Amino acid sequence: MKYLKYNKKLIAFMAFVVTMAITPVAGAMHIMEGYLPLSHSVAWFVVCIPFLVMGYRSIKGKVDENRRNISMIAIAGAFVFVLSSLKIPSVTGSCSHMTGTGLGAILFGPAAMSILGIIVLIFQAILLAHGGLTTLGANTFSMGIAGPFVAYAVYKALSKSNKKVAVFLAAFIGDLFTYIVTSLQLAIAHPASSGGFATSAVKFLGIFAPTQVPLAIIEGILTVLIFVALETYAEAEMKSLGFASGGMK
Amino acid sequence: MKNNKIDRHKDDINKEACVHEPAQHRAEHSHRLFTHHHSHGEGSSIDYQAYHSKIRGWNPTFKFLFTCIALILCIGLDNPYVSVTTIVAMGFVSIVLGGVSFHDYLSTMMLPITFILLGTLMIGIDFSLTPKGEYNFHFGFFYIITSKSRLLHMGAIILKVFGAISTMITLTLSTPATEIVGVLRKLKVPKLIIELMNMIYRYIFVMMDTYRQMKESAESRLGFVDYKTSLHTFAGIASNIFVVTLKRSGDYYNALESRCYEGELLFLEEEKPIKAVQAGFAVLYVVVVLALWWAT
Amino acid sequence: METIIKIKNLTYDYNQRKHALRGINLNIYKGQKLAVIGSNGAGKSTFFLNINGVLKSDCGEIYYRDELITRRKLNQLRKNVGIVFQDADQQIIASTVMQEVSFGPMNLKLPREEVIQRVEQALAYMNISEYKDRPPHYLSGGEKKRVSIADIIAMKSEVIIFDEPTAGLDPYNTDMLEEVLVKLGHEGKTLLISTHDMNFVYRWADRAIVFCNGQIIADGTPLEVFRNEEVLKRASLKRPTLLDVYDMLIEKKKLCQSDVYPKTTEELYALL
Repeated sequence: MKYLKYNKKLIAFMAFVVTMAITPVAGAMHIMEGYLPLSHSVAWFVVCIPFLVMGYRSIKGKVDENRRNISMIAIAGAFVFVLSSLKIPSVTGSCSHMTGTGLGAILFGPAAMSILGIIVLIFQAILLAHGGLTTLGANTFSMGIAGPFVAYAVYKALSKSNKKVAVFLAAFIGDLFTYIVTSLQLAIAHPASSGGFATSAVKFLGIFAPTQVPLAIIEGILTVLIFVALETYAEAEMKSLGFASGGMK
Repeated sequence: MKNNKIDRHKDDINKEACVHEPAQHRAEHSHRLFTHHHSHGEGSSIDYQAYHSKIRGWNPTFKFLFTCIALILCIGLDNPYVSVTTIVAMGFVSIVLGGVSFHDYLSTMMLPITFILLGTLMIGIDFSLTPKGEYNFHFGFFYIITSKSRLLHMGAIILKVFGAISTMITLTLSTPATEIVGVLRKLKVPKLIIELMNMIYRYIFVMMDTYRQMKESAESRLGFVDYKTSLHTFAGIASNIFVVTLKRSGDYYNALESRCYEGELLFLEEEKPIKAVQAGFAVLYVVVVLALWWAT
Repeated sequence: METIIKIKNLTYDYNQRKHALRGINLNIYKGQKLAVIGSNGAGKSTFFLNINGVLKSDCGEIYYRDELITRRKLNQLRKNVGIVFQDADQQIIASTVMQEVSFGPMNLKLPREEVIQRVEQALAYMNISEYKDRPPHYLSGGEKKRVSIADIIAMKSEVIIFDEPTAGLDPYNTDMLEEVLVKLGHEGKTLLISTHDMNFVYRWADRAIVFCNGQIIADGTPLEVFRNEEVLKRASLKRPTLLDVYDMLIEKKKLCQSDVYPKTTEELYALL
């Protein structure tokens, strides 16, 4: 058995890793192409199907009601993409992004978000090289379904007491939940040799926490600010999106 | 005399305009559309690269299906030799055939590097209070332990991931997004989704343009002077681009209807036949990869 | 003269919004060069969308070549009346110039060969054939404008509407636009243009109509309109500079009164 005492090189390496870890990076939580075995790719996609069907029906209903709604829904989708690709202000000069899923869920409803989510993820893969084709199912589940549904549930549960707090917590918890789901997805795909899935999950949660927790807080703050602005300046438009009834139904 | 003057003036205007005329420098300017907001460098100009690829003329369905097969082989066979072959072959297609510069290609490959480093590191190492691993690194009260086989496994995953990424970006660096959407249409993705995708793609750029203008105007008014102000400004701009575009959604629809739109976006799609050489390359690739897998 | 569009008592209401139309009566003749003027919100754009068939009022009638346009026949108008929108970004939907220009002809359900032929013609017409494979989002404002005009040219509509076409264009592209307008005029197209450039109206149009609060308050040759002080005041319009200069020259006896009104600086020079 070899025993290495820490040396300078090792410290430098660890310093590098830690710096990378506390530098929140765009799409850090998109599972990259190649990370999941094919069986998992298929399985996660299958898990998404019922939600996607639900979302499709919700959007289809909205378009059947009035064909002109399609350009509005497309703008909503483009907005989620743009929001997720804008560099948000940061103290350290690092480059971080919102996910936009919490806001999307509150504005458009979690069902519609599944379809908008998968479309946005496809464009993120094509245009920004975030995520990928084989991981599309897994990413859709974590970012387009799990996050938005939790965010929406939190928002619905709290919106009657204090709207701002409800919006903040919805976006914050939605983000955290996305990150937890992604970590679990990775842990299932790559269980630790000793300790298996549980150990691996703890490791993935641990390594991404320094980037994702602060990011979730910022996402919460920004979501509140954007939400208030939208509510103040564009009440009519928000209503036409079905916002008043709490998302597209 | 007066007449001459007027004519000369007109000529001047024309001359001046001619200098600005070629779209080239405009394009160069705006190809950084995403790079503006995205400090990851060139990778964000994937869209721009795709339109200027030398292999844009290849049949998009062929490219898409080949990408899928190559991805399945690379991930499914899970073999370091296959991964390396994939990286080399895809690099060849993108750089030599597609004309992407080596630097641009590499920076696109490196976009997800943080995720790869962090994610893979967690696969390769364990934490322990006792030095029970093959290799142990002492860190205060705990040890980071790993073993040769774990490190090899980690290396294999990194190769596989890069193989898969190179396959994916070879498609996206040579095929504009709408051509990929066109392939999805052929693969019978529901019409409504295809409509949404086409519109979303277009509106992304309209919104990005609005964003850039608003950001510049906010910057000129010290909107990013400190962190708190920045957050407020960012949220203001973000909500604004949405409202501004949403208020115009009716106008966008009017413009479509004025050209006889009836619920399906119809565009002329160029016929791009598959050439024997391309098909040959694809078959050769699959054979080589399978042979490598069988031999190792 | 052959009437191409006849509008009878057209009234259009948005829900609780302005830009409405009130009792519009108008005959548009084939081959006319019609300037539509009036301040922002006077109803010009609403008027255009109505005669293009995107908006349909329940009150009033529109005839295209003596055929009454009913809700079912709206496509008849959309096919034959094209609009070049003010903001090219509002109009452009496709991701390459070729696809964009093909959108109209494809919707007309023309055979593939004809679509290709029309697209190529329209691109050549606007001198943008080389941009064929480029995405609109990497084009400049002037280039996008040309694409949006090619869009309509490819549809071969008999009537073409330009909604404030010069807004935001540089002098070079403004000149280009005027050349295109003259060329289309020679080809016998009926052209409707809304603009705030009175000098342009004066020199180009053979008829001008003035919108004010959703009504047409003047209809005549540009000269008649610009000599009507009351109309100018009501619609807050400025007279073309050349007309002012000409009147001053007459007043100061530098020129003697004649029936010929100069429309360009060259014509004025000839008179002097």
